Amino acid sequence: MTSVPVPASEAPTAEPSGTKIGPVVIAFVVGSAVSIGLGVYGRLHTPTGYAVNIAGFSNGPAAKAFLASIVMALAILQIVTAMGIYGRIPLRGAWVSPLHRWSGRLAVLISVPVAVHCLYALGFQTYDGRVIAHSLFGCFFYGAFVFKMLILTRDDSPKWALPLAGGLVLSGLTALWITGVLYFLVA
Amino acid sequence: MKHRSPLVTLAAVAVAFIIMFTVNMLVSPPGGSSAEPAGPSTAPATSAPAQQTTSAAATPSASTSESTEDKTFPNKIVYAGRTDDKSGAIAVAVLGDQAAAYFCDGRSIESWLRGTVQAADIALKSNDGATLQASLDGDHLKGTVKIKNDRSKFEIDEAKKPAGLYRARGSKTTIGWIVLEDGSQVGIQTAAADSAAAPELNPESPQVTANGESLDAKPINGDEDL
Repeated sequence: MTSVPVPASEAPTAEPSGTKIGPVVIAFVVGSAVSIGLGVYGRLHTPTGYAVNIAGFSNGPAAKAFLASIVMALAILQIVTAMGIYGRIPLRGAWVSPLHRWSGRLAVLISVPVAVHCLYALGFQTYDGRVIAHSLFGCFFYGAFVFKMLILTRDDSPKWALPLAGGLVLSGLTALWITGVLYFLVA
Repeated sequence: MKHRSPLVTLAAVAVAFIIMFTVNMLVSPPGGSSAEPAGPSTAPATSAPAQQTTSAAATPSASTSESTEDKTFPNKIVYAGRTDDKSGAIAVAVLGDQAAAYFCDGRSIESWLRGTVQAADIALKSNDGATLQASLDGDHLKGTVKIKNDRSKFEIDEAKKPAGLYRARGSKTTIGWIVLEDGSQVGIQTAAADSAAAPELNPESPQVTANGESLDAKPINGDEDL
């Protein structure tokens, strides 16, 4: 058995030789630490109930909802371009990868003021189910983002690692948008 | 092969976080970040005694009524009560740095107000020009509401559920209710320019019918668009 090498193409579950799981584990641990760190900060830091407002909006929540919705739209662009990169949809061209990278960078940068407002002014709260979920997903999202960025630094990660990390980031963001913006808009 | 650009992205995001936090700390109201007088609902239970001792140690002289500027609103709270002249009821909901209020006399005069929280003070206004200013005074909320040149003072206390502020909105009708701690309700329903006393609200099953529409009443937390 051990003397017969299994071709990678015939064994989709087996990893091609040369991939390393170690860096993925490390990336996961670092990402988890970021999530936990954000949660601990959000819980221990006394919310000020006050933060810099972003000019031009009727109030803080409206500004946050607007920015978060831009992030969500960019995230949808992210999964579309990612599917193009992976050949799942006919989206080819030299512009697809740069578009994926730069829309992602823009999305995460726009998310920062929103997250800082949440963390600084409101904190990690538990007064109802929606709020608990939103707090948890907020911490999860940035941990998943760190996980994904660290996986991106290496080419020798297993094939499943990057789509998994990207999926976690997008799922986290979607959950944040639903428990935050959608609630804000309909409630 | 290794790539450095994701690390640059990570670093840029980390720097953006630090900048936003720094800006926030610089513009926070004085005393807000150093004394950190937390509201009871936001502070973890374990830190509550420590907080009391620090605030007592920090302000040994200002232990009675002068300590209002030390106080900030809890992250989430609703105050409700009647105005001093009993002309109407008022409810103020605070969530984070946002506040919403409703004044209503139960017959014809009402106003929805919206505004922000600055430490222990709130300032709200309505679309039709009514204003409300209030400050924390111990556990009370003390202030003035001005509607169409009529000024009313109030001093109201926290309203714990099911008491509080409720609102239902349909295509034609908007209803507001203030449910007081003793269970009594003051509310108005408004359709176009007509106002009338609101139907009875059961906070446990908040469904009402008005002008042929079935409406769901929702508690107002303070950050809603009114």
